[in-house]
Amino acid sequence: MAGSDPEKLMIKADKLTKLSLTRWSADWRSATNLYEQAANGFRLAKNYEKAKVALEKASKGQEMLSSPWDAAKHMESAAALAKELGIWREVSDFYRRASELYTECGRSQPASDALAKGARALEDAAPDEAIQMYTDACGTLEEDGKEQMAFDLYRAATSVYIKLEKYTDAATFLLRWGLAANNCNATNSQCKAYLSAIIVYLYAHDFKQAEKCYNDCSQIDAFLSSDQNRCASKILSAYAEGDVEEIKRLAQSSTISNLDHVIIRLARKLPTGDISALKNEAANDQEEPLDEDDLT
Amino acid sequence: MVKLKSMRMSVRRGFPGVDAICKKYDKYDIDKQKDVNVSGEDAFARLYAAIVADIDAAVQKSEAASTEKNRASAVAMNAEIRRTKARLLEELPKLQRLALKKVKGISKEDLEARNDLVYALKERIETIPDGTATAAKQSGGWTASASRTGIKIDSTSDGRFESEYFQPTQESNQFRQEFEMRKMKQASDQGLEVIAEGLDTLKNMAQDMNEEVDRQVPLMDEIDDKVDRATSDLKNTNVRLKDTVNQLRSSRNFCIDIILLCIILGIAAYLYKSMF
Repeated sequence: MAGSDPEKLMIKADKLTKLSLTRWSADWRSATNLYEQAANGFRLAKNYEKAKVALEKASKGQEMLSSPWDAAKHMESAAALAKELGIWREVSDFYRRASELYTECGRSQPASDALAKGARALEDAAPDEAIQMYTDACGTLEEDGKEQMAFDLYRAATSVYIKLEKYTDAATFLLRWGLAANNCNATNSQCKAYLSAIIVYLYAHDFKQAEKCYNDCSQIDAFLSSDQNRCASKILSAYAEGDVEEIKRLAQSSTISNLDHVIIRLARKLPTGDISALKNEAANDQEEPLDEDDLT
Repeated sequence: MVKLKSMRMSVRRGFPGVDAICKKYDKYDIDKQKDVNVSGEDAFARLYAAIVADIDAAVQKSEAASTEKNRASAVAMNAEIRRTKARLLEELPKLQRLALKKVKGISKEDLEARNDLVYALKERIETIPDGTATAAKQSGGWTASASRTGIKIDSTSDGRFESEYFQPTQESNQFRQEFEMRKMKQASDQGLEVIAEGLDTLKNMAQDMNEEVDRQVPLMDEIDDKVDRATSDLKNTNVRLKDTVNQLRSSRNFCIDIILLCIILGIAAYLYKSMF
């Protein structure tokens, strides 16, 4: 069989699987074999389109043979070829299907890996879809109690969000990262995630949110007694006083330089916008309560 | 006593040494004593008078030293003058404190005038020539020195303290020591800062490594399990293989093989013989 025309193999395999009067049950075993060989042949011939089709069919065959693992493997290969061809919809579909098959096997790590690969392939072409896949991948791992492995995914998703300039989403995701770190007792990552969230809020020039975030995070003991907490409070007080030099100095400090490089870039660009406006706002806020006291 | 005064007036111009003698016998000059007694209760006035007297003596000594031919004695006299100047400068703060104290019988203007007197006295002391002067001096030598050399912050570190305008008193020595200590601490502070930064980096790296290792522990456990399973499978397979090979190699099979081989060779030889 080796060396013969993959087209012929395909036709033969199709004939095996197609049900007709003479054939009452499809012979998936040999058909799958033929499909795999055909796919190899097409790949050697650099005929990616046909190879992809062959792999799809091979995967289907493996499914029928109740071996989801092989089926998932074929699906992943098909998805990689689809990526080469640039058919993004198929890429996402195939990777998702592969991930489902892996989950059927009961192996969550390869499942999330498949989703992560899909997301990475789609980062440039369809970033929203990519983010969705990253989120799903993180969910898969978290369900299985393997949050530690999800950190890389969180980081990648955050960088995509920031590239898209969706800062509130990014900050929310960072807080979710903090939660995951909390579940597996990774206090250092947790504190770094919270500090990153505060910086992202500040970069988006949303001082109130940043303060709120800081207050929320201070409820957590691990964060409260950490370097990152001190750094965050210093930055927020520098913002409140409108001290640009202090902010720049803090952005160069070692605590911030230890965060993810995307966040470091944001921090170096602080302060964005007009700080004195923030200062006036803060002053006005403080005056109002005094007036209320006077009235009562 | 009047005669003494007039003698002093007439003689003062001509004989500098006479002044000293007159001073020695001043205690017999009742007029002068009366003046002194008036200020008897006033500690300030007393101290002031004492210092003035000392200054005059020093000035005279310096004049003598400048005309002295013998270098050694000139040097000795200058040293003596310097010692006197230092002592007088030490007395000055006491005088200043007294000047600020209110004394009965003295008017308010006099009190203020006393402060000025103290400053004037200070200048007078410092202008006493003690042999280290080479050029003409101005009054207020302290400020002149500062303006001459410009404003240098760290120029005292070369230890050149023997300029003519500076008299090392104990206080100034103490200040100098404190300054040197503070400078040394500043240098070690900078070193400590560098160390602190390095430690920060190390701490962050160590924390990250800690988390990474934690992450890899369950993975290692999995690998451990899988490898254990693979080893046991392999052992099983090996044992079976050994059994099979042993079976193949049993002596009975060997004998049968050899006998059959001999028979075949015999048949072949027979055929060969029968051919030729």
